[in-house]
Amino acid sequence: MLKNLKELYQYRALLWSLTVRELKARYRASVLGFLWTFLNPTLSMLVYAFVFGFLLKSGQPAYPYFLFIALLPWIFFSTSIGAGASSVSDRRDLLTKVHFPAQVLPATVVATNLLNYLLSLPLLILLGMLYGQWPTWHVVLFFPLVIVQTILILGITYLVSAFNVALRDLQHIVLNVMQMMFFLTPIVWSMSSVPADYQQVVLYANPMAALVDAYRSIFYLHAWPDPKPLLAVTVISLVVMWLSAGVFERRREEFAELV
Amino acid sequence: MSQNAFVLKGVVKRFKKRVIRREYTTLKTELVRILTGKRKALEPWNYIEALKGVDLVVPKGSTIGIVGRNGSGKSTLLKLMTGIYTPTEGTIEVAGRISALLDLGAGFHPDFTGRENILINGIILGMTRAEVKAQMETIIAFAELGDFIDEQVRTYSSGMFMRLAFAVATHVNPEILIIDEILAVGDEHFQRKSFAKMTEFKQSGKTIILVTHDLGTVSRWCDLAAWIDGGVIRMLGPPAEVIEAYRQAVTAAEAQTAETGSSALSAPGLALPEAAPAPVALTQLTAVALFDAAGHETAAIASDAGLDVSVTWGSVEAPLELTVALVSAGSVLFSTTTGVTGVSHARLSISRLGICEGEYQVTAAIHSPGVGAAETVKRPLTITVDAPGVGLLRPVHVWAPR
Repeated sequence: MLKNLKELYQYRALLWSLTVRELKARYRASVLGFLWTFLNPTLSMLVYAFVFGFLLKSGQPAYPYFLFIALLPWIFFSTSIGAGASSVSDRRDLLTKVHFPAQVLPATVVATNLLNYLLSLPLLILLGMLYGQWPTWHVVLFFPLVIVQTILILGITYLVSAFNVALRDLQHIVLNVMQMMFFLTPIVWSMSSVPADYQQVVLYANPMAALVDAYRSIFYLHAWPDPKPLLAVTVISLVVMWLSAGVFERRREEFAELV
Repeated sequence: MSQNAFVLKGVVKRFKKRVIRREYTTLKTELVRILTGKRKALEPWNYIEALKGVDLVVPKGSTIGIVGRNGSGKSTLLKLMTGIYTPTEGTIEVAGRISALLDLGAGFHPDFTGRENILINGIILGMTRAEVKAQMETIIAFAELGDFIDEQVRTYSSGMFMRLAFAVATHVNPEILIIDEILAVGDEHFQRKSFAKMTEFKQSGKTIILVTHDLGTVSRWCDLAAWIDGGVIRMLGPPAEVIEAYRQAVTAAEAQTAETGSSALSAPGLALPEAAPAPVALTQLTAVALFDAAGHETAAIASDAGLDVSVTWGSVEAPLELTVALVSAGSVLFSTTTGVTGVSHARLSISRLGICEGEYQVTAAIHSPGVGAAETVKRPLTITVDAPGVGLLRPVHVWAPR
């Protein structure tokens, strides 16, 4: 893992350039351009808020804000892994023609989505203020949470992208799993709506559940989250990262031959 | 190691065939592989051996040309040397920063301007951001794109695209340059320019590894040539000799295809047949000497003067062929063959050489008809002129100012 991260640091200029290019390329030639960074999650939020808040009448106060807090980290998670799955297998041009550090490819996807997430943060704060929810100093926990989430995502993306090279079904499987996980994670619903006996199961079985719940604590409930599930997520993230860095390292020799 | 840019020892590269005997990659096989951590042993029927044990030493500062037919393993070898592939067996030691021009424009994004693409492509090729920025104007000037440099790359013509890509790739300033068939970029003017750039690389003592089918380039430009055939290095040596042997083998293969209908040339990875029965040394040259018109042995002669080449060998009864050639930097300028039977001496008289000044070689070889020479004897020859001209030929000429 350390070797992988060290190399990533060594290629930070490449990672940064590719990330910036990815951000720029995404909305190039569109009229609204960079505004789409904010429009995309906002529109998804409006759809879900309409269905679950208005039609199904969720009892949560300030439901759009409640939803948005969870939706943004979820988009970071699902888009990174969904797009990251094919990040290695799609770059035949780079892998077979130049000596290219393969781990930069999934890392670029994660970095791009991380930046997107961070950029839409002001929008979240603004939405909260519309509902009279001013940020409290609990938000200092936001940055450790983002770091843990990024490690988790990077780990999973490494794993998925490495296996997807030999087994292209994975990129489709991942998309379906993501859709399933969306409903198993407290995004449109609240953790408190789960029967008390099962809350622990949800929190420990799904690392994203613990993270989303913690985001909600600091932004919505203005309280410190339960540290135990968070500790578990941190350990899980590091283990996943350690494992997947090892797998990625062992497999990357074959990438050039298989893509 | 410090003297060599590359040391390859017993390099073998095998590629697994993906679909053999209904053995597809499935979730189950993948899982088993992950869990057991074992790679399935490569059995002879489920892999292709692209390289079968290559030993190659490339001295620092040398220019080596790699020739061979399609599918002989040239590109695999380059990818191994570049580090894109890892060898299945054997070791590769590299000393120096490599820039590989296997494909131009890796990572170019059509929606970005030329300038933006220079930056990203330069970084992909191993430069730092600062290095690219420092080189930016030089690269733009070299690519000769004018105002187009700030246009999106998708609006470029293919020639413009290649010029830009070539410009970036050659400004990486590597210690080792690996080139695969891309010297012919752009129009004639740009080709000359890129060739000059390559020559500049060569003269500044960089190691160049060149794969090409343009045998002329190899013979003019390389210090060393390697002929790869069927996954092994079949011959390594001076370009002129390697190319000659390669050409003979291809001709022999073509002849065989025409005669038997067997496709010696179409099966990929298959080695070319031996050029002919191995040269039988029926006899050997015993003396090769150059004489001027006055009958004195010489190594330097005026362009307008006559030259006699005297060749002596051990006499045999069988008919033989004697070939004498005039060679410049690996290229044959003139070659003539005569049949001889039962004699041991022949003299070739050239009344006027008519070539420009410079260093040449006269080579002589004796062999059985239709068989390559076992041994070629070389004699250096310096051509001097009273009034210098430029080029290769020196016809009889006179200026008449009016």
